[in-house]
Amino acid sequence: MNVQCELCPKGCIIGPGQSGECRVRVNVDGVLRTVVYGFPCSVNIDPVEKKPFAHFLPATKTLSLATVGCNLHCKNCQNWEISQANPEESEAAFCPPEKLVELTQSYQCPSLSYTYTDPVVYYEYTYDTAKLARGAGIRNLLITAAYINPQPWKELLQYVDAARIDLKGMNDEFYREVCSGTLKPVLDAIIQTRASGVHLEIINLIIPTLNDRPEQIRQLVRWVKTNLGSDIPVHFSRFFPQYKMRNLPSTSLETLDAAYEIALGEGLNYVYIGNLISEKGQNTYCPGCKGLLIERSGYTVLQNRIKDGRCPNCSKEIYGVWK
Amino acid sequence: MEAAAAIAVGAVWLAEKTGLKKFVRAERLKKYPGVVKLLDNINNQSKWSG
Repeated sequence: MNVQCELCPKGCIIGPGQSGECRVRVNVDGVLRTVVYGFPCSVNIDPVEKKPFAHFLPATKTLSLATVGCNLHCKNCQNWEISQANPEESEAAFCPPEKLVELTQSYQCPSLSYTYTDPVVYYEYTYDTAKLARGAGIRNLLITAAYINPQPWKELLQYVDAARIDLKGMNDEFYREVCSGTLKPVLDAIIQTRASGVHLEIINLIIPTLNDRPEQIRQLVRWVKTNLGSDIPVHFSRFFPQYKMRNLPSTSLETLDAAYEIALGEGLNYVYIGNLISEKGQNTYCPGCKGLLIERSGYTVLQNRIKDGRCPNCSKEIYGVWK
Repeated sequence: MEAAAAIAVGAVWLAEKTGLKKFVRAERLKKYPGVVKLLDNINNQSKWSG
């Protein structure tokens, strides 16, 4: 008997003994099962700036985990060795939700990050861990492409404190060709996240020749401003040739700088550049008085002048979670 | 009594039509199909992006 997975827009109909596109949700004797629940392939403590979050508990550590698998198959994936791996050919540790919460507490991390691959495909593991962690006073951070259906997303968001969502471009053809997905479900999930009140930051990986034209950047930035507001931080990230996209060069500093200027010019308040050290796009500035609020070097916070969520100079409220 | 039952049935029908039905989770498979190992040193920053 076939089963249908209702987790993501792909809606895989899975035959007996087969898995969905994500490789980790399988049909076992007519029952849909997740094979990665409790079995992360990676557990590490990272700075929250690495996710990246610029406006969520700066300078804190976050216990970060992933299982193998992903429901997208981006040709440029930087973590393809785990995102596109078959569970049968992978290594994982046994680490149930209780153990993750215990580790997070013992290493004194204020948050748990579900990251590296995509927490959407290890949904049940994420959900149960997040629920348990919330009860223990630990914040839950999702790092995701948000390729998920509205109902499971709604149910998961109730235990989420922050989401860093990939918006890979504003072109459906790009999503289809490069990521084997579609654009609209991602836009819908982003809007749903914003409406839920969960802290939100957006990242856009700029790939030379594919989504790096000024008008493409402008379209994305305008969508963010119109649908999410000027306060949502946007990170432009540098592409490196990876996986099935080794024929393109790395994104130039000039392109990233141009994207940064376009976003500020369009009225976004918080814009960042990631995956390289540049002069621009590292620090947080007050959108009111333009004063320096957070100074960074890579993942290191050199100084944080925000006081009680406000600019110390002009008292403007700064979007974010600061304690 | 019949009216109350009809209202309840109607309410359920309306909720199903207009609302999102609860997501049906996948069940956990207890045996990992790959190799199970001990946790590495988690204190090291991950080599993975994100």
